[in-house]
This record gives sequence, C-alpha cells and structure tokens, in this order.
Amino acid sequence: MAEQRKTVSRRELLRGTAGAVAAFTIVPGHVLAGAAGQRPSEKLNLAAIGVGGMGDYNISQCGSENFVALCDVDDEYAGKVFNKFPSAKKYKDFRVMLDKEDKNIDAVIIATPDHTHAVAAMACMKRGKHVYCQKPLAHSIYEVRKLTEAARQYKVQTQMGNQGHSSEEIRLLCEWIADGAIGPVREVHTWSDRPVGGDPWSDFPIMARPKETPPVPATLDWDLWLGPVQYRPYHPIYCPMQWRGWWDFGTGALGDMGCHIIDPAFWALKLGAPTRVEATTTHYQPEVASETYPRASIVRYEFPSRGDMPSVKLTWLDGRLMPPRPRDLEPARRLEGNGAIFLGDKGTIMHGSHGAGGLRIVPEEKMKAYKRPEKTIPRVPRGQAGHEQDWVRACKDGKPASSTFDYGGPLTEAVLLGVLAMRMKDTPLEWDPVNLKVTNIDEANKYVKPLFREGWTL
Amino acid sequence: MKEKKITRRSLMGAAAGVAAFTIVPRHVLGGAGQTPPSEKINIAGVGIGGQGGADLRELSSQNIVALCDVDWAHAGGTFRRWPDARKYKDFREMLDKEDKNIDGVVVGTPDHLHAIVSMAAIKRNKHVYCEKPLTHTVREARMLADTAREHKVATQMGNQGQATEEVRLLCETIWDGAIGQVREVHVWTDRPLHGTNEWYWPQGVDRPKGEDPIPESLNWDLWIGPAPMRPYKANPDNPRVGVYSPFVWRGWWDFGTGALGDIGCHSLDPVFRALKLGHPISVEACCTLVNNETYPVASRVTYEFPARGDLAPVTLHWYDGGMKPPRPAELEDGRRWDTNGALYIGDKGKMLGGRLIPEARQKEYGKPPQKLERSPGHYMEWVIACKGGKPAGSNFPDHAGLLAQVVLLGNVAIRPELKAEKYLGTKLLWDGKEFKFTNVPEANKYLTKEYREGWAI
Repeated sequence: MAEQRKTVSRRELLRGTAGAVAAFTIVPGHVLAGAAGQRPSEKLNLAAIGVGGMGDYNISQCGSENFVALCDVDDEYAGKVFNKFPSAKKYKDFRVMLDKEDKNIDAVIIATPDHTHAVAAMACMKRGKHVYCQKPLAHSIYEVRKLTEAARQYKVQTQMGNQGHSSEEIRLLCEWIADGAIGPVREVHTWSDRPVGGDPWSDFPIMARPKETPPVPATLDWDLWLGPVQYRPYHPIYCPMQWRGWWDFGTGALGDMGCHIIDPAFWALKLGAPTRVEATTTHYQPEVASETYPRASIVRYEFPSRGDMPSVKLTWLDGRLMPPRPRDLEPARRLEGNGAIFLGDKGTIMHGSHGAGGLRIVPEEKMKAYKRPEKTIPRVPRGQAGHEQDWVRACKDGKPASSTFDYGGPLTEAVLLGVLAMRMKDTPLEWDPVNLKVTNIDEANKYVKPLFREGWTL
Repeated sequence: MKEKKITRRSLMGAAAGVAAFTIVPRHVLGGAGQTPPSEKINIAGVGIGGQGGADLRELSSQNIVALCDVDWAHAGGTFRRWPDARKYKDFREMLDKEDKNIDGVVVGTPDHLHAIVSMAAIKRNKHVYCEKPLTHTVREARMLADTAREHKVATQMGNQGQATEEVRLLCETIWDGAIGQVREVHVWTDRPLHGTNEWYWPQGVDRPKGEDPIPESLNWDLWIGPAPMRPYKANPDNPRVGVYSPFVWRGWWDFGTGALGDIGCHSLDPVFRALKLGHPISVEACCTLVNNETYPVASRVTYEFPARGDLAPVTLHWYDGGMKPPRPAELEDGRRWDTNGALYIGDKGKMLGGRLIPEARQKEYGKPPQKLERSPGHYMEWVIACKGGKPAGSNFPDHAGLLAQVVLLGNVAIRPELKAEKYLGTKLLWDGKEFKFTNVPEANKYLTKEYREGWAI
C-alpha cells in the first residue's frame, strides 16, 4: 500500500495539478492524457506477464523503468526473475494483477506461451495499458486481428517482440529494395533450421498426446497456464519449455521464427496479406499430426501485386530443409541455418535470421560496387538491442514504436496463415484477408478462430 | 533334372568338342551362353525370402535349379515351392558348386549385397536379374554396368514398371510434343512412411544398444556380408524379427538406400526414358536431421541435367517423407493428389504421371503415335535376352547402371558430413564422365564404401 501511495504522489507531481488529480486517483494517468501521458524524464511503471522465459530478457532490457508487478503461473520457474525485483508485487493470475494494480501500471510486457498472448494483451489494452507482446502476436489469426484493432481503438503504444525489426540492416534492406538495387522482386525464400535448431527451446516434441498424468508441480497453476485452451491434464512435455511444438499452445517453427525471418521481406516488399497459401509437410501418424507440428514443412505463399511492385511468391522452409542455392552466390560461400534470399529481376539479396542480419547483395563484387542510397528511414538507437527501449520511448513520447501491432499484426496474420495451411496439408487455400476467411475450403476456417474454454474471452 | 540339362547342352554344342567340355561351362568357351528360345533357362535365386521370392514366381516358367538364402526359415515359402532346387546359405558356395548348372541368377538380397552377388555371377558369365536399386553405392552401379557390358550377359534390374504400356505412352506423348519442352519435373513418395499411419521401415533413428541372440535359422555373418560387423538386435516390439532384417534394412546406411533408393529406381525410370536423361551436372539436397546410422525422415533432392541435343535442360526435384510439390492449377478440384507421383511441367502443358492434366486435355489429345515396341513383360524381357534376344529394357549397361548411379548420387548429397553447417546450401557439381564431384572433393569418398575383410567386389 505504501508503494501505491508513493506512486500516486509521483503522478500528482508529474501532472502538476494536484486538484484535478485528486478527482482521478482511481483512473490511470494515460486515460487522461491519451497514450502519451508521460514525460520522457519520468520512469514508466511496468508489469510483466510470463517472466520465466523470454520475459526475463525483455524485462532486463527495460531495467531503466520501475517494475511494480510481475505475474507468472509458476513462481518457481519465475523465481529467478521475481528475486531480482523484491519490491514488485507478485501474481499468478494476470486478471487479478490487472484488477489490483490497475492504477499503478502504465504498461505491460507479455511473454507467456503463444496461446495466452491474446487474452493477456487484450485485457491490458482494454485498461489502456501500453503493451509489449512477444512474437508471434497471438496464437490464431482471429486473435491477431482483434489485438490489432484494439491497439488502435484504445490508442495504446504497442510493440511486438520481433526485435530484429529495430535493426539497422532491416532499414538498409528497405532502402536498397526501394532503390531498385536488385530490380523488382518476384521470389523470396525464407527458412529456419527449427524445430531442430539445437537449443532446448527449439527441440519440439513430435508425439501423440501423453496418456500419463503426472502430478502438477506445487508451484504451478496448471489451469491458468492452460488459459483459454480446452482442458487437458498437466504434463511436463508442455511446459515450461516445449509448448511451441503443440498445436494448442505454440505455433511451431514458422510461428516461432517466421516473425523474425519473414519480417524483412514483409516490410521491404510491403507484402500485406497473401491471397493464396499451400503447405506440404512430412507425414506423421494422425494421432501425432493432430497434436504436434511436423518435423519439417514447406509453405508457399502468393502475395498479389502492390502498386508498381509485382506479385511475389514467398516460400518458407523449416526442419532443416533449405532453399535452392542462389545462382549468384560465389562457390566458396554457404547459406546460413536461418535466413532469406530475395531474387530480383536484376540481382539477389541474402540475409540471416533476425532483422535482416548479415544483409548482402550477392555476389560480393556487386555488393561492393553498389552505390548505397541515402538513409531515409528513422533509426532505432542501439538497433535491435534497443527494441524494448524503443517501446519505452513510445510509451513516453506517444510516437509509435518500430513494430507496432499495426505492423506486427498483419505480419503475424500472414505467418499464421501458413501455420493454418499445414493443417490442410497439400491443399491450396484462397484467402480473403478482409473477412478472415478461407474462401475455397470451408473446413479450414475452424482454425482461424479456435474455441475458447468457458470463462475466457477476448 | 541335371541329366536332362546336360543332354540339352550336348545337343546345343552340336560339335564333337563339346563332349570333352561337359564339365566346363559353355560360356567359358564363347562368352555368355545362349539358350535357344525353345529351351528353358536354369535359374538360381540369391536372397529369396522377400522380393527375390516374388521375382522367382514370375520366372516360374523357367527352371529354378538352386536357391540361396542366409535365413532358411525366412526363405521357407520359396523352398517349398521348388522342393527339387538345391539349397544354399552362401551364394559363393552355390556359384562354385552350381556353376555349370546355372544360366542366370536372380538377386533379391538387401541392397548392400546386390553388387557383390551380381558381380560374382557376371564374372562367371551368368545372366543377372537384380532387384532395384541396382547397388548400394554409386561406384558399384558403374562397375556392374561396365562388367555386364564386357561379359555380354543379359541383365535386368527389378524396376518392373519400365515394361508397362503407361511408360511407353508417357514417352510417346512427350516425344510427340504434347506438353512442349519439359524443363521441370517433380517426383515424390511418402516412403519411408506408408501413408500417414505406419512406417514401411524406420529412418531418422539411432543404432540400438546391446545384443540379442541370433535366430537359429539366420547366418548373421553372411547377412552382414561386406558391411562392417555389428551385433544382431531383435525388434523390441516384435522379437520374432530384427531391427535390421528382414525388410527394415532399407533405412540403415550400412545396408539400405533409404526412400530414394527404394522408390527412385521405380519412379525416376520413366523420367529418364521420356526425357532421355544422362548424368546430371549437379545434385543439391536438403533433409531433416540425419545421423550416421539411418537415412533422414524426409529429404528433397534436386538434380540439374544439361541440354541433350534438341532437348532443353531439366531440373528434377525429388521429395520423400510425405512432402509434395505444389498442386498444379491444372488438376481439377476434387481430383486425387496422390502421396506418390510424378509431375512433368512442359512449356505447353503438364502431365501427372502418364496423363495430361486436366483430363479434358488428355481426352482431346487422345493417343500419341506409337514409336516404341511393346514389352512381352518385364521378366520375359530378361528371359528372352538370356536366350540371345533383344536386351531387356532395364539392362545394366544401357539403362539401369546410369539410373542407379543418379539415384544414389542423391544419397551422397544427404550424408551427415555433407549436411554439417559448413556445407549448408552446397550444390554438388558432378562430372559423370570423370566420375567425381568437382567442387567438394570430400564428397567423393561416399561414391564407394569400404568392404569388410574377406569381401570384395
């Protein structure tokens, strides 16, 4: 309580109109002042939901601000982070946290598993909180659309956690493409070595739903971990690490890495919504295929022409499948385990996994000869390492961050349409992005908006 | 039976000298022997418990004189069918003892023994019918083709689809220009999985630890043959069979050739015929995680073939493990998009398998002018060749040797060493004439293999 009072008094000072504030102490500051209520010199009061994994990193990148509340469904898994912030209040249920801390929180970092991104982010935005949400923005296309709309409606500052979007290279890519460095681009290949990238986060299970029902660890609130997903018994194969491989919780290699690796093409080529998508995957038994993502997949997108840019065929490959070696690549050079290749009418560009890292025109001779255009796109201080701070800045000065939901939403929709296509393996899907509808195969539409468990809504 | 045979041979010789040579096989005198069309050929089978037994049944119009298998229990059905045939476990012993009684040998062993058995037979001037893929290594395929040519024996690889009407119609349709120049072909299979439900054989798994008692009926040392020795292991889910044998050897590097080796010689065969393909100039492959024990669960291999006379260069894409190429827009809605297939993309149209798509185009097109002789049947082709007739459609020197080499080049490209980070995105450049990869010399060692002591080709 002392903490809370202190906050209020800080705000009173900040606003400089003690009388007006007194009447509004139960209303958060940003409701009064739109989404840009803070002065840059002031610290934000932050909360975080899902702090045990990637949240730890995002939180540490916001160390300049005040963390007033932390929420995780497993306080043992979150313990390391909890201990770093002894004065922050700790919660298991983000709904309780938002109720109790509403007036103390300016903004929230969300780094839960994919299946709870949307319910958490929506609850925050409805209360006028700024939101930093890990990628992919949500678990289903419908959720993504709703979050994108809500961010506009509630006028909050948002940032999706595709930190590469704040990089220098992704800006260079956009400038070079706009400059016509490789001419019009009609074909893009993107790929990731996940789900077997070699670290525990990317070692996805490929299996049927486990039958054994081990006891839920005392520190974990399993019901809250499940959130809006239909109930199933606890098993350590889902959490804390391996949920990415399960249809109900994660979004597979494409959902995991697509928001990083497709991001540069999405921005530089202004791709927007695909109109057609077709996926093929490795075969696996129906009881396995209905639960977990495939060992490898190839997703083929078609994006229509945009202005004077021609239509684009974009291919995604995962599970260590690789694109064809580009003809322009010198014999001594190899490809990376994650990356993208742009095939233009007049040349080739390659880059690596995050934020177009390692961006090069190939061959190197052409890169060296290239007269780089003027830098016109605003830079983010410290590039991708400054992604969280870019959002902090946005929360304070009201100018949008680099990967707002207005950008990250459509990017995630495109990514998740590819995920959906895997469930309709080897079937070309015609996509109506306005109405969020597969127009040629109605059966596919059940994956656009999965059913929420009772008690959970957006 | 033996007596009858000698009589036949004495008659055949039709010269006084023959009597003096009844114990010497006639082919030593004059190259591969020829059996008159009216006579039956004498066949021995090596590896007869699986497909080898099925092959012999197709050849049952001929004399089956000797049968060899390292597992007499597994071979029991075939033994019972030909109770008079002499039985062996070691093909070397069989060839020694039956040399003068055998005209041809049918090889249906696991892949790692194909070349060893076939070569031994060819060197004795026996005709050879060998299951696909012809061999275990690229080099063996080339050696068998060369040696079969030298010894002028009749050969046939077990890709029986080559004899069909469909393959002939496909070739004639493409040669007729029905889809114009073909620059791109996609071929795919769901193996090593069988649909989505079951494995034909496991791939992407590691070697099991430990050792189990070898079944009494099995000579494990002979089964291992030229491969490095390893302990016998029973299948924990079904102890009556092993984790390597029977049949499931296909998934192991030491014994089989994976999905590509198993099916490639079937489904790439028509592509080679229709497009008159020779050696590719490059091989580029990617696959799911692969180890040094088994082939990966899924792979994609891309071959580039240069122009051949008037024929345009061709890019050939192979997919296994259930992956498919994009469904062609020409394929009518609701039409089956099969888990195994071949798609030919021409300048003026597409063919799915042997038919133009959409079906309306096939109907409109009708039938191509006939240019190819029809087959009397895959097995009969070989029998006729053994008797001095026309070479069989998938004989080693003219066709199967090349096809098997190209198929197995794909397996070199997915070797674990060549899938390491430093090789990501590598396209292997192949010089078919010089028989080597020109840009990645370390890949060349995988064109061949080491043979266990006591075994040589």
